[in-house]
Amino acid sequence: MSPGVTLCGDDVVSVECEDTRSAQVLADHLRESGDWLECVAGIASCVAQFDLAVMSAEEAKQRMSSALGDTPVAHDAETKLIEVPVCYGGVHGPDLDDVCEFLGVSREVFIGWHTGSEYRVDMLGFTPGFAFIGGFDQARDVPRRSQPRVRLESGSIGIAGGRTGIYTLPSPGGWQIVGRTPMALFDAGAEQAFRLRAGMRVRFVAIEATEFDERREE
Amino acid sequence: MTLRILKPGLQTTVQAGPRAGLRHLGVPASGAADPLSLALANRLVGNALLAPGIETTLTGVRLLFEDDGFAAITGAKAKARLNGERVKPHRTLAVAAGDELEIGPAKAGARNYLALAGGVAVDEVLGSASTYLPAGFGGFEGRALRSGDVITVGPHGKAPKMLKTPKEFRPRASSSWALRACYGAEVDLLSKESRFDLFDTNFTVGRRADRMGLQLEGARFQVTSGGRLASAPVFPGTVQCPEDGTPFLLSIDAQTIGGYPRVAQIARADRHLIGQLRPGDHIRLLWRDADSARDELIAKHEYWREWLPGIGDVI
Repeated sequence: MSPGVTLCGDDVVSVECEDTRSAQVLADHLRESGDWLECVAGIASCVAQFDLAVMSAEEAKQRMSSALGDTPVAHDAETKLIEVPVCYGGVHGPDLDDVCEFLGVSREVFIGWHTGSEYRVDMLGFTPGFAFIGGFDQARDVPRRSQPRVRLESGSIGIAGGRTGIYTLPSPGGWQIVGRTPMALFDAGAEQAFRLRAGMRVRFVAIEATEFDERREE
Repeated sequence: MTLRILKPGLQTTVQAGPRAGLRHLGVPASGAADPLSLALANRLVGNALLAPGIETTLTGVRLLFEDDGFAAITGAKAKARLNGERVKPHRTLAVAAGDELEIGPAKAGARNYLALAGGVAVDEVLGSASTYLPAGFGGFEGRALRSGDVITVGPHGKAPKMLKTPKEFRPRASSSWALRACYGAEVDLLSKESRFDLFDTNFTVGRRADRMGLQLEGARFQVTSGGRLASAPVFPGTVQCPEDGTPFLLSIDAQTIGGYPRVAQIARADRHLIGQLRPGDHIRLLWRDADSARDELIAKHEYWREWLPGIGDVI
């Protein structure tokens, strides 16, 4: 028996996880084993796709169960801290004023909140490298835009539902855009194509528009 | 060898194999929407089965060869002409500098594949040469081909044998499809009646149908829990059911994470068919348990191995 491990489809097994962090740790652990085609963490689950030609569903469930038993505990202290410079408002953050009005605070207070805490990258997903960063509790009630934007520039920093999202690549998007980072977060040629990884600690640092232009990495 | 795009059609892209093992970074599979047809085309020109080729959508393509070479067409039911003369699919075609090839509109099925001996020469991005349109990387400049684009084809060794795909290995495009499928992770959120209907509805592919996914019309499902779920991983072949009750079948470019109940998963053995579905096509889902889905995949691999020895990497 494989308690807690369920099959979803013919070649995917899923397991419920306490939180996103433990789902990430499990996904990383599974990936290291080389047994799986894809190991992906969700908000509260971890899912692994296996090669149905070489492994049966029952075998996959068993492997997942035994991996659950020997997965290391998350060590927060070991994860890297990355400082993300952000130019808030103006052309780089067209929704900042709306968000401030929604929250009933000034720009300064909002920026103070956002730069005042350390966050953690919950997961990458939706679009390539899009980083979900939890823990912005003051903005818990901020909704997504009712009308998603057709194109957002890479580096756009969005807010929705207590999360910060970073658009690594140009894409459509529905989050409230409060700023933009000049940091290059994606380099297709690099060994580590995405600079942000799940589990990384993140701190936002406010910069001026002139500094944004100087630091813009292409 | 180079070739020039004269008329690009609705959406013509360079596609090869999928991006594998990167969904945890948010990187979708992409690649040929119907990888079996790409493999069949590549087989005829002596390429690796998933070498980069050209994928057309519904309306075909018109292009000019600027050098001599070899080509093959597979996929949707469509008429092709070389310098105005009909040419058949599933054959190795010798082409000469100045030849004009036209793949006409698809009459059944959605996508045609043009393989070129040597393969389309584009750089790999994140482990694959395939175009991922939503983020604009891979393939030819990360985008669909336009009139005037000049595509470079890699060098090929000695001339390939002039081959025909044996008849029993030519998939027939249809307007009515049966897709084998297993229950998805949240099938229990469907009402009992809807769970029954999932495998007893003659679905019609809706107008929203692209490389990301396809709307399945014909039934309004009752999702009992309502509301949104914690976002969870999804894959090509996942059938999601949003609040409006209209199921959505994810295709090869699907995002990696979704927030709607996953009610079914198309069995791996039939996932390659998703790339040939077009608006208006009829679909039925056939329920399978995981063990029979596995037996059927293994049987399908055995069948195809005779003509495509590397089939296990294709479907």
